[in-house]
Amino acid sequence: MSTATAANSRTAPSALAASSKFKAFATTFSITGPVVYCLTQFFNWPLFTYHPATDRLVWGYEAARPGEGPNMLWYGWTVTTILVAAGLGIVVIMLPERISGKMPLALVWIFPILTIPYVIYSLMPWWTHP
Amino acid sequence: MAGLVSTNTFWSLWLFVHLILAVGLLGALTHQAMAVALPVRRPAGGIVTRFRAVPAAGYATAVCVLWVLTFLVGSYIYTKYRIYIRIPLEQTGHYKTGGFFDFKEHVASIGLTLLPAYWYFWKNAQNAEYDNARKGVTLVLAVMCWFLFIVGHVLNNTRGFAS
Repeated sequence: MSTATAANSRTAPSALAASSKFKAFATTFSITGPVVYCLTQFFNWPLFTYHPATDRLVWGYEAARPGEGPNMLWYGWTVTTILVAAGLGIVVIMLPERISGKMPLALVWIFPILTIPYVIYSLMPWWTHP
Repeated sequence: MAGLVSTNTFWSLWLFVHLILAVGLLGALTHQAMAVALPVRRPAGGIVTRFRAVPAAGYATAVCVLWVLTFLVGSYIYTKYRIYIRIPLEQTGHYKTGGFFDFKEHVASIGLTLLPAYWYFWKNAQNAEYDNARKGVTLVLAVMCWFLFIVGHVLNNTRGFAS
């Protein structure tokens, strides 16, 4: 970024942004997050299921019940993902910096791109519905 | 809000709030993405050059806050979508439209998980070690944001405000 824009950008980082522990947490969270989300969705591990028609919240997965409208899993998948990715981030914080510092940072943007074909594939019933 | 506005108006207002937040997010991320993809070497110039010449690091916290707020408001109105929008969409055979909404929800969640690293990279903009990762994650988030915005817009046209 040897540019005018970059010149404006190069200010001193805050205490949080200067922390190597936060770097380990943030990069681990963001690298694992997309993968964990896809795994959570593939294995169907929502932390909870929400039934909007009856306003009912149930731990874990619960199928839609007859006469009670649809179930919603996305909230549960997202919360599962956040908790697992945060847990992995905390684990990496505890590793020595010589190990945690070796994570390729490019994975932060490569993994989300790689998850998109899976996401499209997982929605196949929508695309192929007659 | 009971008694002040009708139920339809209440949810339409929340949808509008979701839209306003999304517009702010889209603008901030597009500025930033342009700034990293096509950096300006001379600050003066036409409107496109000035669009790219923003102090991009200053947008990072705002982008994170706007992504989270847009996500939360979207999550709130999603319950009504599930019953009053998606079911009629399925009944009228708009399966691909419904599929794109599910695609949108997945992309929004995946984007949410990128924010901590995105914020960290931008808050360390003085560190050249993060330049490539910062550029990559910013562009990915910008493309995601445009996708989310366009799908939301099309879906609203299919069955949105006051429907």
